[in-house]
Order: sequence, then C-alpha cells, then structure tokens
Amino acid sequence: MDILVCMKQVPDTETKIVINPEGTGIVTDGIKYVMNPYDEFAVEEALKIKEKMGGTVTIVSMGPQRATEAIRTALAMGADKGVHLCDDAFEGADSYSTAKALAAAIKPLSYDIILGGKQAVDHDNAQVYAALAELLDISHVSIVTQLDVAEDGKSAVAQREVEGGAREVIEVSLPAFIACQKGLNEPRYASLPGIMKAKKKPIDVIDLAKSGLSADEVGEKGAKLKIRKFFLPPEREAGKILEGEPEELATQLVKLLREEAKAI
Amino acid sequence: MAEKFVSMRNLRFLLYEIFDVESLTRYPYFQDHSREIFEMVLDTGEKMGRDLLHPYFAEMDRNPPEFVDGKVKVLPMVRTLMKECGEGGWIGAHASYERGGQQMPTLVLNAFRFIFCAANYSASVYPFLTGGAAQLIESFGSEDLIETYVPRMFSGEWQGTMALTEPQAGSSLTDLATTAEPTDAGYYKIKGQKIFISAADHDGVDNVVNLLLARIKGAPPGVKGISMFVVPQKRIGENGKLEGNDLLTTGIYHKLGYRGSPITQLSLGENDDCRGWLVGEPNKGLRYMFQLMNEARIDVGMSAAAIASAAYYASLQYTQERPQGRPVTSKDPTQPQVPIIEHADVKRMLLFQRAVVEGSMSLIFQCARYVDLSHVLDGEEKERCELLLDLLTPIAKSYPAEMGSLAVSAGLQCLGGYGYCDEFPLEQHYRDMRIHPIHEGTTGIQGMDLLGRKVVMKGGKAFMLYLQELEKTIEAARALEPLKPHADDLQRATETLKDVTGRLTGIAAEGKIDLFLADATLYLELFGIIAIAWQWLVQAVAARKALDTDSIEAERNFYTGKLYTCRYFFAYELPKIEGLARRLKACDGLTVEMKEAFFED
Repeated sequence: MDILVCMKQVPDTETKIVINPEGTGIVTDGIKYVMNPYDEFAVEEALKIKEKMGGTVTIVSMGPQRATEAIRTALAMGADKGVHLCDDAFEGADSYSTAKALAAAIKPLSYDIILGGKQAVDHDNAQVYAALAELLDISHVSIVTQLDVAEDGKSAVAQREVEGGAREVIEVSLPAFIACQKGLNEPRYASLPGIMKAKKKPIDVIDLAKSGLSADEVGEKGAKLKIRKFFLPPEREAGKILEGEPEELATQLVKLLREEAKAI
Repeated sequence: MAEKFVSMRNLRFLLYEIFDVESLTRYPYFQDHSREIFEMVLDTGEKMGRDLLHPYFAEMDRNPPEFVDGKVKVLPMVRTLMKECGEGGWIGAHASYERGGQQMPTLVLNAFRFIFCAANYSASVYPFLTGGAAQLIESFGSEDLIETYVPRMFSGEWQGTMALTEPQAGSSLTDLATTAEPTDAGYYKIKGQKIFISAADHDGVDNVVNLLLARIKGAPPGVKGISMFVVPQKRIGENGKLEGNDLLTTGIYHKLGYRGSPITQLSLGENDDCRGWLVGEPNKGLRYMFQLMNEARIDVGMSAAAIASAAYYASLQYTQERPQGRPVTSKDPTQPQVPIIEHADVKRMLLFQRAVVEGSMSLIFQCARYVDLSHVLDGEEKERCELLLDLLTPIAKSYPAEMGSLAVSAGLQCLGGYGYCDEFPLEQHYRDMRIHPIHEGTTGIQGMDLLGRKVVMKGGKAFMLYLQELEKTIEAARALEPLKPHADDLQRATETLKDVTGRLTGIAAEGKIDLFLADATLYLELFGIIAIAWQWLVQAVAARKALDTDSIEAERNFYTGKLYTCRYFFAYELPKIEGLARRLKACDGLTVEMKEAFFED
C-alpha cells in the first residue's frame, strides 16, 4: 500500500496564545511547534496499515521551514519519506488554498489511501481534508475512530462518530481520505533508533515552481477566506448567587431568565 | 493545562547555552548526532514523561508493590514502561552501536532522564537501573555474559539491579559476607543474604539480573577480596528455558516514600544451587561496581534535583492562584486579597527552591559534560575531566539530596496546611525526596569520600584543577560589569575553601585522622555551596550576555529570572560558608571526645 499522511505543524497545545497588538494574528515569538495531535493518530494508523500490509508511508506537509521538524518526528515514528510544500507564496493560506497546494503535491504521487487528522488544532476549521478529497476526486470519511482496510487494499470499513455517541459504519472504496479522531489508536512514541534514522530519510521540498501552481492560486492570494481580526472572547462575567426562600428564589430566577438572559 | 514538573526551557539552556552539547558532535564518536536529534529526544522524553509516567505519580505511591506468595507484584504500568523504554532504545541509549546502543551523549540522556525523574521518580528507577547494570556487564563482562544478558536488559525484558548491601554491611562494604564457591562448570555457587536491593523482584519483567558483590572462598579480607557476579533470578537452563536459580525474595520493605519501586530482601543459595558468573577478574568487584556507583551517585543527585523541580512547579502554581492576605503596606480589608506569590517571604521560598534546583542541575550537567569529554579525549585532557568528575561526584550526589530535601520542604510550606495533605503532591515529593541523602552512599560517606580521598588524591591534583575552573568563571564574570560583585564574592569563597582545606590537610599531616575527618560532612556542605555558587555564576554569565541581544519578552524574563536567582544564591546561600569555615577551622574534636554515656538522659 502506498499510504499518504497529511500533517500540519501547529503551536504546542500548552502554548499561551497572545494576539498581536494589530489583531492580525498571534505572537509567534518563542512559540514551540509540534505535530498536530490529530495528525499523530493518522501517522500511527498509517504505520499500522504498513505493518500489516506492507508498503510505504509518506508524510505530506505544507508549512514554513520549521515544519521540517514535525515531518522528521513522523519519520522518527517510522514513516518512510516526506514531502514538504515550502515557499513564501504558500503563507497565509486558508483551508481552500491549502487543499489546492496539497492536491498539487499529491497528484503526481501514487497512493492507495490518504490519512490526516480530523482538524488542525490551530485554526480548527476541519475543512482541508474535504476540499482536498474533492480536488483529488476521491471520497472522504470524517471523524474516524476505527478503520479496517480490506485485504486486497481496494476498500476500507470506517467507523465514525456521530451525534449522541452513536457510531456510523461506512464502507468506502479506496483511495479515500480518512480524517482521524482521538480513540482510533494510541500513537507510538518515536524510538531512539527511529530518531537516528529519521535524519537520513528523504524529504522532497516542493516550492511554488515545483508545485506547478501560480502564486494567485495559493497562500493568501488564493484564499477564499479573509480573516479580518483576531480577538479573544470577552471574559465571562461573574455569576450571580441568589439568596432567599425557595419560593422567592424561583420567582427571582424566572424573572432573570426572562428579562436578563432572555432565555424564556 | 497539564501539571508542570520540569522546565524544558531550562533544560535547553543548560544543554545548548551553558554546556554546548552540540560541540560534542565534532568528535567521531558523537558525529552522527545533531541538535535536531537532541530536540527529538527531548520532545519524546517530554511526551513520555507527561503521558506515560506522570499519570501514575500518585497511583504508584498509593498502591505500592505487594509481596504475595513469595513474589512481588507491581502495577501493570511497570511492564508497559519497561517495554516502551526497551523498544524505544532508551535503556541502552548510551551504548556503542556495536553493543546495540546509539552512542547518545550523557548530557542529552541526563536531560531525558531528568524529565522521567521529575514526572515520577519511582517509575524512572526501573529502566535506568537496568541501563546502568547492563553497562557494567558491557564494560567488564566476558563476551558470553554480554551476549546472554545485555540485549535482554536493553530490550526491557529483564530488569538489572546492583546488589551490594547486606544486614551487617551497609556503608561498610568491607564487611560483606556473601560467598562464592568456584565450580568446574564455569559458574560459582553463591550463598548469603542481601538487603535493600531495588527492583530485585517484580512481575513487570520476565527476569532480574543482579550485579552482585560476593567473596570468592579464600579471598583476602576487606574490600580487596570482593568480586562481582552476575546472579540472575532465573538462569537459562539446558533447554534454553528459564529456570529457578535458588534466589529467594524473603520480603520487601515498607518505606516512607519512593513507594512505587520494591526494595527487596534476598536469600541466595539456601539449597546450595544459586549460580553466579564472575564479571571480569576476581577481587576487582568493588572497583567495577564503583563505575556504576559513581554514575548512580550522580543519578541520585539528578533525581533529587528532579523531584525538587516538580515540587517547585507545584508550589509555584499554588502561590500564583491562592489569594491570601494583603500587601503589608496596604491592609485595607475592603480590598481583595492578593495571590500569595506577591508576599516577599513566599518569593523567598520560591527563589530558594529555584536556586537549589537549577544550581544542582547545572552541576550535574557539568559532570555529564566531563563524562562525555572523558569518553572522546585522550591523555592529559582526559585525565583532567576524569579527575574533576571524581572530585565533584560526592557534591553532585549530596548537595541536591540534602538541599533538595530543604527545597521541597519550602515548597510544601508555600501551600501551608494544604501542603501537608495528600490532595496536593508536595507531601509525596517530600517523602520521595528523603531517600536521596541515604542511598548510594550516605551524606556522611560522601563527606569522607570528598575530604579523605578526592581532595587529597594524586597530591591534590583534582582540587587544583577545580580551583582553576573556579578562576576561569570568576574571570569571565569580572568582564561583565553587573557581575563583578559576584566574581569578588566567589573569589573570597575560593580563598576560604583553600584556607579551610589547608587547615584540615595540615591536621591530617599531623596524623590526627579522627580530627581530620570528624566534620567531613560540614566540609562537604561548604564545598557544595561554593560549587553551586560557581555554577550559578556560569549561568549568570550566559544569561547576562543573552540579555544584551535577545528581545523576545519571554526569553528576557527567563534570563532575568536566572540573574535574580543567582543574586539570591550569592546573597542568601553563599554567606553560610562563613559559619561552616569557622567551625571547620576550630578542629577541636568536640564530636570525637563526646562519649556514648553522655547521650543518656
């Protein structure tokens, strides 16, 4: 099986997010970046499929130079090679222009299945995989918590979370994009021999020219979404504690729900 | 946000900015390494510490190993941990490629291990004790022993231990009584008892390999007649299967802290069928063991600093969140209370903890650098590193252990009554910490090792080299205007150290050995404070220079915090040497003269 994993490098979830004074983004100085936690499930699943069925695992990522670190981490976990879309022109992308660039990098590759996290924890849009699947003209299954690839590698059965804690079972023909959710597996830790080997594994860097796209199609220029302003949600006001007899409290509560909260 | 127990920023500061670990990659032995690799090691260590070890921190304490039907049961996480550490290559990381390791510098491994120890000290002991024991077999064992044992220890299938202590021979190894009788079959028959052996029996592994000290029958008395043996709990039978080795666990101890790891009592050869295999040459066991012991001592210091690190971050978080009282300058009760971190005395307790934790860490990393350099250098330079390492080992063991106990106590104090309760981690850190001044050579033994052996060895060569190191740092600090007062203070402290050392060695030259060694523990304390002042000045020089160029706010806060803590150490801790020096120079033999009878009533 030729297995691809779409992976994004994001700020560590422990990072204290500070919005820059202009409100155009976050302060990135001193931020530690890590592999998107949902993508870790995708890497792990890819490695498990490879262990079972053979083949190669290729990590595809778009991001600045530093994204190499996250690709190497995936290689240290056991992936075989990386593809890194890296060019100033890719910066400022939204989900659509990201998908467009990823699709350009993926199209020339041979692939039987593509995995990725259900969303990246930075922008939390959860849109890239669907757009990418559309651009590649393949199916996608989102929020997957169990995956069984058929022995012939031609199809897979995926379980996905739906509302109310129910599970939906979907059979999909491959290639397809599988968007991975927590619970799918326990991502392995990088091993030390894996770390040592990772630096010798190939990473193919794809710049704008190599992607075959024009500057207008990618990054901020190719984005359909414009972010006007970054701001933190207003701090919650302190709660009110009502005092008095139960009958009185009920009256007060109904009044507040009606007049202040406008909930009834 | 997850509970913080270690500062990754500080680990990186020590590795890259103070001890320049990247420079090691110039040497052929370390040439395959790079900062990128070190970063992945740190990231993996952080992840494993957070997800694999820390979640069991309290659980291992509350559900300690049980001794049931002659076997020791531990939590299932021990097997998981050993498997992850084995399969991940972390147990044998230090070893050469030929032996299945990755030639990882000790500096980086120390950082990795520090994270584990801070996350959950009891758990960290299982894999790292195994790595140390395997290293002994690698260094001194026959090819046959290496092939039989080392791969299974590196893989985490088999636990390694060091088995020294006996009921009558704790600090006094000269009194070891376990015997080894040669046979024609190449093995020895072992008979005796061992006590206080960490992890010598548990169901988290398939077998235990004890590196055990015993006397071959007819060997000379005292330490010159001690040999080292591999004594497995289960030996490999003729059919290749594991079979009993007449090694019985007779009990486990119930301890104050460090409860997640079983400390066992062993009976060997009750049926005259306990087999041991000699490591290296006969009667050299203690010398071999000291290779592991010296590293184990530095590991104890590191573990102590790590526990104190976890205690520091737990107390820091509490002091930031707990509102209590108002500034002494404005007692208006209508105003809201302030978080207690705003009180000067609370800041003092936090600074004290940080001064101990990060000062100790720096000394331990300094030692690790000497380990790495002695591995790749030759001749005089190699000897220099080895001598400095030898000299500083008792300090690196005992300063973090003794002062770490006080630091955790200060951390607990920050929480007031809550610190005394088990719903916060401080009380466990306090209990876990207390083993460190005791195991791998008590503080008293370290004091005698430093003064009676290390300071005077090779005509005082190591001591002279150490003074040169202090001088280099003093010079570097003098070149930076704001650090000049600290440079002067360390200069004066160096003079005090020379003065006290001269006085004591003079007493020794007069043949009054009892007076010379009577207050060796106080000498160790004085020496330790100066060594940590030295390490704080080393850090301050780097922080001061970095402040001139770094404009990122978080980074500036980090370096400024370093400079404040250095100032704290020089203002609050270093002056303590004056009282110690006064006492040490008196040499009046008070404790020597005091009689047992005077202690009654």
